[in-house]
Amino acid sequence: MFVNGEPRRVHADPMTPLSGVLREELHLRGTKAACGEGFCGSCTVFVDDDAVASCLVPVGLAEGRSVRTVESLADPAGALSPLQQAMKDNDAVQCGMCFPGMLMSLTALLETNPSPERRDVHEALVGNICRCTGYERIVDAALTAARAAGAAVEEDAS
Amino acid sequence: MSDVIGADLPRRDAEDKLRGRTVFTVDAAEGGLLHAALCRSEVPAGRIVSIDLEPARRMPGVRAVVSAADAPGRYGITIADHPLFAVDQIRYLGEPVAAVAAETLDQARAAASAIVVEVEEYTPLVTMAQALADDARDLHPGWEDYDVLVEGGRRGRNIGWEATVVRGDTDAAFARDDVRIVETEFVAGRQNQAPLEPRACVAGYENGRFVIQTSTQVPWSVRNSTARLLGVREADVRVVVPPVGGGFGMKFEVSLEPFAALLARAAGRPVKLVNSRQEEMQTALCRENAEIRIRSAVTESGEIVAREAVVLMDCGAYGGEQPFLTSMTAHTLGGNYRLGAVRLVSRAVYTNTPPNGAFRACNGTYCTAALERHTDEICAAIGMDRVEFRRRNVLGDGDLGSTGQVFEGDVLAPMIDRMVALRDSAAPVERADDGRLYGTATTVGTWFIFVGPSAATVNLNPDGTATLVTAGVEIGSGSTMQAIPQLVADSLGLRPEDVTVRAADTDAAGYDGGVGGGRTTVSLGAAGVAACDEVRRKVFDLAAEMLEASPDDLVLTDGHVAVNGVPSARITLREVAERAQQVSGPISGSGSFTGIGVQPMSGCAAGHMIGALDLPVFAVHECDVAVDPDTGHVEVLAYRVVQDVGRAINPRAVRGQVQGGVVQGLGYALHEEITIDARGKVRQTGFETYRMPLSGDVVPVQLDMYEGAPSFGPLGVKGAGEVPILNVAAAVSCAVADAIGRPVSQIPLTPQRVLGLVLGRESEGVELRHIGPGWRDNVIADPDELMAAAGV
Repeated sequence: MFVNGEPRRVHADPMTPLSGVLREELHLRGTKAACGEGFCGSCTVFVDDDAVASCLVPVGLAEGRSVRTVESLADPAGALSPLQQAMKDNDAVQCGMCFPGMLMSLTALLETNPSPERRDVHEALVGNICRCTGYERIVDAALTAARAAGAAVEEDAS
Repeated sequence: MSDVIGADLPRRDAEDKLRGRTVFTVDAAEGGLLHAALCRSEVPAGRIVSIDLEPARRMPGVRAVVSAADAPGRYGITIADHPLFAVDQIRYLGEPVAAVAAETLDQARAAASAIVVEVEEYTPLVTMAQALADDARDLHPGWEDYDVLVEGGRRGRNIGWEATVVRGDTDAAFARDDVRIVETEFVAGRQNQAPLEPRACVAGYENGRFVIQTSTQVPWSVRNSTARLLGVREADVRVVVPPVGGGFGMKFEVSLEPFAALLARAAGRPVKLVNSRQEEMQTALCRENAEIRIRSAVTESGEIVAREAVVLMDCGAYGGEQPFLTSMTAHTLGGNYRLGAVRLVSRAVYTNTPPNGAFRACNGTYCTAALERHTDEICAAIGMDRVEFRRRNVLGDGDLGSTGQVFEGDVLAPMIDRMVALRDSAAPVERADDGRLYGTATTVGTWFIFVGPSAATVNLNPDGTATLVTAGVEIGSGSTMQAIPQLVADSLGLRPEDVTVRAADTDAAGYDGGVGGGRTTVSLGAAGVAACDEVRRKVFDLAAEMLEASPDDLVLTDGHVAVNGVPSARITLREVAERAQQVSGPISGSGSFTGIGVQPMSGCAAGHMIGALDLPVFAVHECDVAVDPDTGHVEVLAYRVVQDVGRAINPRAVRGQVQGGVVQGLGYALHEEITIDARGKVRQTGFETYRMPLSGDVVPVQLDMYEGAPSFGPLGVKGAGEVPILNVAAAVSCAVADAIGRPVSQIPLTPQRVLGLVLGRESEGVELRHIGPGWRDNVIADPDELMAAAGV
């Protein structure tokens, strides 16, 4: 697999959940596995272009494919992604367990729909459970990030 | 006062959490860790005939197997009724019988399942009705011999604890010929906290001491309970706590730590133990289910001349928090309103179900729901406007609470006015002509800050920064990341980023009651400020010599010590700290805090650990709902909160807590429920069947922070994180009742239940035959003695 851009060879049984391989073998513990059944979304990662619950993906199915985790979101020099920055600026984070998954689901949304409506953001989060925040601030942050990106695009155009 | 207070400072832990770098206990992965698994009972009740550990010992990779013989003690909060492993009897499905440590988790689980447990099964008593039946088996034969840790509660048979309140002549008031008697019954389900990080710990055994890293809210309680269960000195247990991935009360008592500790000692290697999500669902220390009958005598003008109530709280197989929480009924169900006379009884009932625990605004959520539904029924009976009735009757300055404590300040009534203003300022809620039924409700609630002992040390470092050392845990609420460093920074004239907050470690910090009960900012904040006072005195004494000024004229600001009114006469705190290294040694201060000990009226409260509220907190909630009469689906259209915050140290952080707390309350009110089948098994085995609020279910909460109510917290603060959940179930239940025009007496209000109410299929009342008709029929204590003690 290519994990966060690097070719990685893993030794786990092909039926091992991808989340387990990322956490245990590759030490990418940003990916959480809070429910292990695909209902909470805390293990969401990209496999190629799709945000998926990595606890439901046998690692064998990821063979040869590109996997992106929360650790890949900040740029290599260390700056937070605009979405991460918006989460920080909006004081959205509480316990933090759901955020790696939230960020991957919302990154997927913004890649496919750069100017979402509020409703689109709520719908994009339907597979991510947060037990602390009551969601609104996470939605606010995603919209802030989208608007900031939109403004930047307009500026480049002019 | 600096501009640090009242500022929306960001969280210092946000960036690592967003990068996926934060290491929670569940992420611990140090080399050489063994993995543990518990062998849990597969039946809910029975006599243990034999346990054969040998098959597990022979399994590959196994390094240690421990069981009841290794853990002699029992623990509890009021009664030490809870052994670490089942002894003689199984009392709930999922009860630990043995524990195994092995090289891999799979090996540990395989070995745990190889243990042979022979049990002679009993018929399980899974409901409070079954446990209270005249011919019910005792869940705890020999209960009289348990260590009593707190005196005062009546106990007997399957009642683990009974607390009573008596004030005034209730019988005489009910007998008056000018009153209406209104009676309400209410039943509330069991709610799982479901933090995304399950209970998890890593234990080692070093130099004859247990060192435990754990996901807990209460490091000191874990230290002391672990010692008690293992039969070792408390001083031989050290507890350290990394960031915690949510708690909400479930991590407010010891859980997995003693198992891992025993295994680490037996194996001579560190051991990691984590509950699977399925184990968390079966054995979570949930908010208890409860059954309530409440009855009031009210005059036509709306005066409540008497009230009595019976509250049954299901503690599960062991007492845990519930005996303690029986105290809260006096202040939640017995709160909010002026009462002429009052008589209450709260009983913690043993059942063959998993033990329950603490959950954000414990007891308050369902008692407030029952009380507010009852209040709306009173209003209907006497024909008075629901908001007007509340405005007239809420507790104000000088009024007596149920246990006779005197309340200070008019808080609730002006908060109701603020709610009316908040509603008027908001966009009106649209009531479409879509066949749905619309309703609204305004509810009030009384809660408190669980003050109590906290200790803090503040070290002034040679570089002029400060380090705060407490046993305060960061569970996600942000108190130790925002409000507490803000308070310390304000006190020392530093920027918050110059205040380092030490992670909780019982070897480094003094005793603390734990993070919960809205106490963190108040208790740890006050202890921290007290520690700063000592630092300030030492700094001023030294700086006075350096500046040739009087210590009384000095102030701390912008990292400097300055002579008040002379801007040029100042030196940096760093210079003072460096000077101290030479003349006195490093500067540090220690501080402590506890409650002020408000007392109930003599003889009014029996079996109460909290007879009166040191620091009350109030909340007014209002919501608008639409009910689909064809499906029973309830949509919350708008939600408004006026919350007594004392003083908002970080307003944005308070808003975040209110939004999160209200949403957790919506889950409780509408769809979160742990149900248990006749065999004692929790039906909800994961997040597929335990339905928590999702992004699409929520509304933005409109909040008005009410500041200025009396508080002895630092700078007048009150905790803001616990209370937002308090009256959500009340507001939703009352609004749904308003919408459908029928009483609501049970939560959660699932579509099925609401549809039953709309169609008249669901009985309007709930069957509570195991609650006797009057208060006297529901007390173990001699009712006449209780009345006499209260002077009636």
